[in-house]
Amino acid sequence: MSAVDAKATAAPVERYQAAFDARWQGNDELTALRRAALDRFLSTGFPTQRDEAWKYTNLRRLETRSFTSADASALDAHQPDWLTTTGTRIALVNGHWLPALSSQTAQPPGVTVLTLKQWLQRDPAAVASYLKEHDQLTGNALEQLNLAFFEDGVVVNLADNTILDEPIYIVHQSTTAAAGRMSHPRIVVRAGRNSRATIVEHYLGANETEYFTNSVTRFEVAAGGAIAHFRVQQEAPRAFHIGHIQTRLAKDARYCVHDIQLGASLGRTGITGLLEGAGSHAALFGLFAPMGNQHLDAHTHLDHIAPHTTSEEDYRGIAGGRGRGVFNGKIIVRPDAQKIDSRQSSRNLLLSATAEIDTKPELEIYANDVKCSHGATTGQLDATALFYLRSRGLSESDARAALIRAFAESILSTIDLAPVRAALEKQIDERFKLANEAKA
Amino acid sequence: MLSIKNLHALAGEKQVLHGLDLEVGAGEVHAIMGPNGSGKSTLAQVLAGREGYTVTGGSVTYKGKDLLSLSPEERAREGVFLAFQYPVEIPGVNNVYLLKAGLNAIRKHRGESEMDAFEFLTLVREKMKLMQMDESFLNRGVNEGFSGGEKKRNEILQMAVLEPSLALLDETDSGLDIDALRVVANGVNSLRSPDRAIVLVTHYQRLLDYIEPDHVHVLSGGKIIKSGDKSLALELEKRGYDWVKQEAAA
Ligand SMILES: Nc1ncnc2c1ncn2[C@@H]1O[C@H](COP(=O)(O)OP(=O)(O)OP(=O)(O)O)[C@@H](O)[C@H]1O
Ligand SMILES: [Mg+2]
Repeated sequence: MSAVDAKATAAPVERYQAAFDARWQGNDELTALRRAALDRFLSTGFPTQRDEAWKYTNLRRLETRSFTSADASALDAHQPDWLTTTGTRIALVNGHWLPALSSQTAQPPGVTVLTLKQWLQRDPAAVASYLKEHDQLTGNALEQLNLAFFEDGVVVNLADNTILDEPIYIVHQSTTAAAGRMSHPRIVVRAGRNSRATIVEHYLGANETEYFTNSVTRFEVAAGGAIAHFRVQQEAPRAFHIGHIQTRLAKDARYCVHDIQLGASLGRTGITGLLEGAGSHAALFGLFAPMGNQHLDAHTHLDHIAPHTTSEEDYRGIAGGRGRGVFNGKIIVRPDAQKIDSRQSSRNLLLSATAEIDTKPELEIYANDVKCSHGATTGQLDATALFYLRSRGLSESDARAALIRAFAESILSTIDLAPVRAALEKQIDERFKLANEAKA
Repeated sequence: MLSIKNLHALAGEKQVLHGLDLEVGAGEVHAIMGPNGSGKSTLAQVLAGREGYTVTGGSVTYKGKDLLSLSPEERAREGVFLAFQYPVEIPGVNNVYLLKAGLNAIRKHRGESEMDAFEFLTLVREKMKLMQMDESFLNRGVNEGFSGGEKKRNEILQMAVLEPSLALLDETDSGLDIDALRVVANGVNSLRSPDRAIVLVTHYQRLLDYIEPDHVHVLSGGKIIKSGDKSLALELEKRGYDWVKQEAAA
């Protein structure tokens, strides 16, 4: 290591310490927790590529920036395009709750939706003990950073046997006021026995603004519960986005996520699923589409702890320009976890010679009565199909867009929330039509 | 309508067409027959503008324009249609999307307005009826999982919707059952008009019983070596190609 490197790695420690001191003082239990989390972050620093889980994603660019805590702010002039307009909407603007933009419909009995701050006001001891239990020992450096700096978030509690028909839509909007700032939103969903809910998370940002979003979303699903999670990352082109999702599944619980990554300059979602109860099932569907100079990383980690647990993963990557994509799928089957069925598929499409997608399945199987399959392919647009479409009158860009859309469709078609599916199909069409025109 | 002069072309690296001449006038139906590997599909692909097929000499004039300088989509929009010998399966792209996008691109090129959804569906339903195709095919992926015969029918459905001026049919009759052959022939005949031309590539007289050609050509060794009227097809059916080849060599 040269002296220059040593200086650069020392810098973030000081910067984040300074940002922390500027924002959080006092000696209450929560601040002490935050401080301890910051210390853990500072002692390890940002993960490096020597860390197996970050092999293909270099955080150097993020590390050299100095972000400070974002303040509450009003919305920029234009309204975001909502992904869905039904159900409850909670808007976090630069990490802070903006009531004016939120719309809370009456919840059926048994459902509580609060902001994290509201929960803190009502019961600070409960929040502190929750955070202690769930974050203190688990969590990587960036999750620690979230614990140190989080401002607000959303807490959803579902009593046993509660069925929520309408989705809970959580919008994370970053505005021009977020330039040079970071936000660390935190979502907590606790689903009781046999309860059911749909959570939509949508990350958006103002063009030309450089900011850092580092979110943590946690699900605890009790026996027989089912959560559908849609996570759409459409941050501004210069943004940094790191998202951590952790789901714990009890007996017969189900979790299904659609992990869609379209925005940000550097983006990553890390999904950890802990299949702790027999009969639990995790289904992970992902689509990431790095274009230009984007780097998008989809990292999944499924831990089959209990026997008779099942998981399926279907990820698709589309990379154009100098875009870089990563899919990493780790599956662990514990020694006592017999009768496991797990299926993983990663398919990738490269639209240019300079685009790249790295895909890495990692299976760690310690039990013997298991069925695990995985497959990965990377290819280009089918020249014969392109010609066929053009021979029917479609322009080259329309023909390419149709084939790209067809590739994405196998993920999009599994989205059973119609407005979200329609919005994403439109996004994909526009994105690749634009990209094709720029290329022509 | 179409004038091919001394056409030389490579398929991949291989010289396949060796100075092919063909004149097709408006309102005419031409049949091209010839041994396997003689270059019939190569000719069709060259006319449609497929990448990987390189013209090394000669010219192709279509409606007074240099066809070879146009992109595949420009050719389609100018009214050239190729029914593929091996139609391509495109999972995830709907049949109905392709029909609509193709038709609207062609209409736009002609300065016509896009069809609204109702007009379009009415048109497509009428053509599907003509092709005796179930409407469920509309929402399936293009040719996805279609049987061999269904694919061929789908090609002719596309042709019927797009209404080209010059239709090139590459072995559309192969793989069709007896009833389907009649349906496909009906579809093709419905397109016949004084301002359209049809070029059929076929191995069998059977199709020509239904679609009567004005001219029959033998393509062998990358050239048209003999032309005649419909009686030539009957003669080929009886006698094979050897005598034509010998005649041409003499
Ligand atoms: N891309 C290619 N690269 C190399 N050779 C090719 C290529 N395409 C075709 N050929 C060869 O060119 C010759 C002509 O092929 P073509 O498909 O035009 O024949 P055809 O007359 O249509 O035959 P058939 O009656 O069997 O359909 C064949 O020998 C074929 O193997
Ligand atoms: Mg052929």
